[in-house]
Amino acid sequence: MIKRFFDQAYLYHKGRRAAFEAEGFVLMQIGYPLITLIFYCLIASYSFKTSNLTNWVIGNAFLLCTNACIFGLGNIFVSERYFGRLRSIIASPCAKLPLILASGVFPAFFAICASVCGLIVGAIVFKVDFTGINLFMVAVTIICAMISATCFGLFLSSLGLISDSMHLILNIVSYLMMIFTGAEFPVSQLPLPGRIISLLMPLTKTIAAMNSLFDGSSTTAMNILFDGSSTTAMNILFAEKSKAFWILLIGELATGLIYALLARTVFEYAERCARKNGKFDLF
Amino acid sequence: MIFRVIFSTMIVQMKQSFARPMFRFCLLANPMLNTILLYEMYKNSGEENFMAYVVLGAGLMGLWGCICFSSAGDINRERYSGTLSLIFVAPTSFPIIILGKIIGNTLMSLLTLGISLATAKILFGIDLVLESPGYFLIALLASVITFIVISSVIACLLTLSRKTELYMNCIEIPMSLICGFVFPVSVLAPQVRIISYILSPTYAVELMRMAVWGVIDTTLFWEKMSILILLTIIYTLISVFLYKKIDRRVRIAATLEVA
Repeated sequence: MIKRFFDQAYLYHKGRRAAFEAEGFVLMQIGYPLITLIFYCLIASYSFKTSNLTNWVIGNAFLLCTNACIFGLGNIFVSERYFGRLRSIIASPCAKLPLILASGVFPAFFAICASVCGLIVGAIVFKVDFTGINLFMVAVTIICAMISATCFGLFLSSLGLISDSMHLILNIVSYLMMIFTGAEFPVSQLPLPGRIISLLMPLTKTIAAMNSLFDGSSTTAMNILFDGSSTTAMNILFAEKSKAFWILLIGELATGLIYALLARTVFEYAERCARKNGKFDLF
Repeated sequence: MIFRVIFSTMIVQMKQSFARPMFRFCLLANPMLNTILLYEMYKNSGEENFMAYVVLGAGLMGLWGCICFSSAGDINRERYSGTLSLIFVAPTSFPIIILGKIIGNTLMSLLTLGISLATAKILFGIDLVLESPGYFLIALLASVITFIVISSVIACLLTLSRKTELYMNCIEIPMSLICGFVFPVSVLAPQVRIISYILSPTYAVELMRMAVWGVIDTTLFWEKMSILILLTIIYTLISVFLYKKIDRRVRIAATLEVA
């Protein structure tokens, strides 16, 4: 069962990388994301009038997963339809959740690599100080973030079964992630509805957790919804820094799980409709 | 005759471009989302005139996005549709038809500036503040011409490549960064600024920003305008040279396909 899961994951990866070209990889997977990171950090340095860009390096390094998780994964079912494999997937009697999750294994791994690279390059370019930072907690935070982002990507990919405008959806989502995850500006700046949306987005909680690691404050992490000082109810409840940190990570994983289940629900709905209507597309 | 061809090509191109979801994203959604993002980033910057970096910045990023995902890839799109050879051997010269397409795209892309302004006004109550409207119109006209010329150069360069889509995706953010669409180029490292000042959009943006704040030093304005005009002429010559080169290569190889 587990072997089949990883075999399937490897096959998905192999299929996606079949037309691999070094030039494309260097430009799209390394150069372009790093330039994007530098671009938004420079805007932040000018607009926020600061030379301490730690929060933006972290936020934008996390957003580097967008390429793998949003644009890479989001088009899975569009590609399956294009290559004619969708009918086999829908008609096969196997469980669909492992099948969906298997396609996210390698993108999640690449997203982790991209974020680590982004963090290292950003740290070098913008002089982020890693002194006294618990690297184990940094690694755990990145892994949680990428699992959550991958599940979100899988949910988006399932929308490919009910919409033919995936380019539009994926591009809008990539901007929404910049606006609502706290990567480019503090979430507390948003009005209350915006802050609620930010809690539903992947990466928001891990970006806050990572910022709290670098800030060394216990208030940052839990002030996402409740703007203000450490005397808020949430901070009194979770006064201890590490406790708040782990709660944010659990929250992030729960967000990812919800998106994975949503992906399954959409897929099952599409499957039912396909069996009933005798066609694969809902649009 | 030439103007009629350019005009009809413009109309057809506008209809074709708007039919593509990616272009609709660049034209409609991109400026709105960029305005929201940039406003939130500049909200506490102390900057009072949000026109300079938020509205203009988001509009220009949208405009450049439209150019990247449409004008730059138009020749390749024609090749994919199998109509490139028909355009190439048509009685009207090939560069004229391509020019019509690029003008159509660029004029329609100007809508991004309006959408950005409308988003800023509706969502954040930002007013249109133009201290020197006359100078702004001159700067805008010069910018449109320079963007048309630069699109033409890029379209030619991408004609010679099979990886148009890859390069189209890769030039969007770097250009916004180097030309200082959303922050002054003085933020960049001195080595990078050398590249900024050989790219005409840098001057176009600086001129428009000067007009937004109010042109106090007119000599500086016209100085920058002269450099912009000079660079635009150089790009035009490069574009003409590239079209001639492509034409010669196509006639020798007897194919419009790339190697």
